[in-house]
Amino acid sequence: MKKKLLSIVLASALTLSMIGCGSSAVSGVSEQNDTTSNETDPADSKKSAEGNLNVMIETPVESLDPQQATDGTSFEVIADYTDGLMQMDADGKAVNALADRVDISEDGLTYTFHIRNDANWSNGRPVTAADFVFAWQRAVDPEVASEYSYMLSDIGQIVNAQEIIDGTKDKHELGVKAVDEKTLEVKLNVPVSYFLSLMYFPTFYPVNQTFFESCADTYATSPETTLSNGAFILDEYQPAATTIRLIKNPDYYDSDKVKLVALNYQVIQDSQQALMSYQSGDLDTTLVNGEQVDQVKDDPSYKAIGAGYLWYISPNMKEVKELQNKNIRYAITMALNREAITTDVLKDGSAPTYTAVPMDFATGPDGSDFSANQEKFKDVCRYDADAAVEYWNNGLEELGEKEITVTMIHDADDAPIKVAQVVKEQLETTLPGLTVELQQMPKKERVQRMQEGDFELGLTRWGPDYADPMTYLGMWVTKNANNYGFWSNSEYDEIIADCTTGSTAMDPKARWTALYRAEKLVMDEAVIFPLYTQCNAELISTNVSGIEFHPVALNRVYKNAEKK
Amino acid sequence: MKKYVLKRVITAIFTLLAITLILFILMQLMPGSPFNDEKLNESQKAALYAKYGLDKPIVIQFFHYVVNMFKGDLGVSYKISKNTPITQLIASRLPISIGVGFAAVFIGAIIGLLLGLLAAFKRDTAWDTFATVISVIGVSVPSYVFALALSYQFGFKLDWFPMLYSAKDVVRSSVLPSVSLSMFTMASIARFTRAEMIEVLGSDYMLLAESKGLSGNKLVFSHALRNALIPIITVLAPLVVDLMTGSLVVEKIFSIPGVGSLLVNAIQSNDYNVVIALSFIYSAMYIGIMLVVDILYGVIDPRIRVAKEGD
Repeated sequence: MKKKLLSIVLASALTLSMIGCGSSAVSGVSEQNDTTSNETDPADSKKSAEGNLNVMIETPVESLDPQQATDGTSFEVIADYTDGLMQMDADGKAVNALADRVDISEDGLTYTFHIRNDANWSNGRPVTAADFVFAWQRAVDPEVASEYSYMLSDIGQIVNAQEIIDGTKDKHELGVKAVDEKTLEVKLNVPVSYFLSLMYFPTFYPVNQTFFESCADTYATSPETTLSNGAFILDEYQPAATTIRLIKNPDYYDSDKVKLVALNYQVIQDSQQALMSYQSGDLDTTLVNGEQVDQVKDDPSYKAIGAGYLWYISPNMKEVKELQNKNIRYAITMALNREAITTDVLKDGSAPTYTAVPMDFATGPDGSDFSANQEKFKDVCRYDADAAVEYWNNGLEELGEKEITVTMIHDADDAPIKVAQVVKEQLETTLPGLTVELQQMPKKERVQRMQEGDFELGLTRWGPDYADPMTYLGMWVTKNANNYGFWSNSEYDEIIADCTTGSTAMDPKARWTALYRAEKLVMDEAVIFPLYTQCNAELISTNVSGIEFHPVALNRVYKNAEKK
Repeated sequence: MKKYVLKRVITAIFTLLAITLILFILMQLMPGSPFNDEKLNESQKAALYAKYGLDKPIVIQFFHYVVNMFKGDLGVSYKISKNTPITQLIASRLPISIGVGFAAVFIGAIIGLLLGLLAAFKRDTAWDTFATVISVIGVSVPSYVFALALSYQFGFKLDWFPMLYSAKDVVRSSVLPSVSLSMFTMASIARFTRAEMIEVLGSDYMLLAESKGLSGNKLVFSHALRNALIPIITVLAPLVVDLMTGSLVVEKIFSIPGVGSLLVNAIQSNDYNVVIALSFIYSAMYIGIMLVVDILYGVIDPRIRVAKEGD
């Protein structure tokens, strides 16, 4: 009896294990055979194949639904196979894409987009104005609960967007209308000077209603449930996949310009593996981190690409009385050696920043960069240890204190940990009697604590959502959730309101000047201590050209990329 | 025996329910929320909470969750793969983790057993030292070090195996991760096998068996090994669950689309449903394996079964 039982158990265990082994082995072998029958060796053919671009991403795609996506990776992949009314050119300017003509009314409140006749979805149906109306209504529909609905309300100022989000109006009352099959009319509450540049943001991309409804809940979760109207077609994808493949769209209206045959994404989270994959030829581009930069910085394929993020320290001026003192704030910002942070610690090309709006993303009416001049606030923001000590001593005297201890919270990620340690060291060395305690935590927790005002100093970052200084300056108005320091200045609030919805909003030049004034207020009051503008260190194989990098909306655009 | 198994199964179900409740409470204590992106305003946040039912009291949420769970619905992901049903995410990823993990256990157990036997039979020789050194290295060096070293040597330098997991080449691309994961299992099994075998070989009943004229394979396999296996199974069982539920670090290094990396991403982005579902599945697998182990004990050693039946 015992023996019998033993043999049964052992036999079933053995069978199970064979099933386990067998299934994976069999499927592996059969798939391998499939590929070998088409190509000689999958790995080799991939490495050498002309026109097959292999790129790495650090995180998987969160969502390919244009109205649900919120992260850079998802936006990038969606834009590979979807065009908006406008797309970005190499310099980040908005140029016609699905729209071949735009009429803007004189008061700046009505935009009429004429959609090109040869724009089609990959199922052969034409791209129509109704596709945009459907998509934009989804974006503000409280049932869809898109995290980027504020792109249509706060930022885009489309009529009734905010009311629909708040649930007081029906989504069909959104200020967007299909005049005819190819004409889309958009009504705004106030003139928005950067409205056209919003059109390349994926939240504004069209969705075909008939197709969407035919997919039910599975829309944009597989190549079959995705429609393309752009340069590429999604070929291989599943939710949270570590590999994604796109192939050239032969029916794309601009397909003559598309040189790539296929675009392969590979998720690699380990930086060492990514570098080795690049060096072995499996990848054509890769990100490199601070430690690796030393190894590769003399390589001709090494490039520092601006990522647009401004890293800064926010002092809590509501709860911490020491930080309410302006001299103390000046002392801290002048004791920071930003140059040392970027060249000795980060080493990835990140640029020291002395302005509240970072450089290289917002171009004014005269064609110049908003923050090209990094010395404009040098009276109040520079590295000057002597001046810092003077401000510090004055501040301590005013407060009647000899020693101050502050805690700085920061994200538990590589770069912020390193930066926070240097900041602590710099401040403690320069300012006598100052102790900086560091507290690291997951980003989500750090953001929550800063929004709730439960911090003293916070190391944080902000990425631009659209190519206008307002994406930064809008943050520091009274009671904005991201005004972490709880700063409040009525003059500042007035300027911002006037530039958003007031008379200045209509006059680009006056608006630009007003925004300079607003930035000066922030800097003069040391509301934030800017540190650096983030760059990503990349390796791009020398036989690859034409990848366009942008700090806003779409980080990488492959439409004009080429691989020889 | 049947009664014993039934009792254990019922206990397991209640344990799992308790675990789910604890997980729910822990999620509430987790700092942050899935939707506290800096850019959201209050009405947007409210809309998101309402959409996913997170605005309801925790008791109601728990009740809904358990009811849905019995229907096979584990909810959708809030963040890491927006609105994707979690059953779909797990269905596509768990088999990959199990595949790689099973291969690791298989390799580790076989080699470990052989090494352990070798060390025990050739006690105090160079073989024994060799096996001991290997097991010490295997236990003390973390798997990601092996992973990186193997990847560099056999992936990058020699180009024998792919450095990254590929769905098109499952067998070859699983070799490096499975071998890296197997080191710990191999080392633990080798150490235990050696220790147990030495003890068993020196026991009186082995002397008796030998004096009855038994020798060679029969002696080793039906008398010595069988008795040595009991503690080894105890060690092996949790290792099996650990490996099959995916290793975070090794999955990250080889870009394996498994469940280990999914869980960590989910925790970091407060994707409650994914965290609960995966923790639940881990617990279920653990409890399941422990149940099997207990039953196997009885098979290998009738004394244990008898003792338990007497409970």
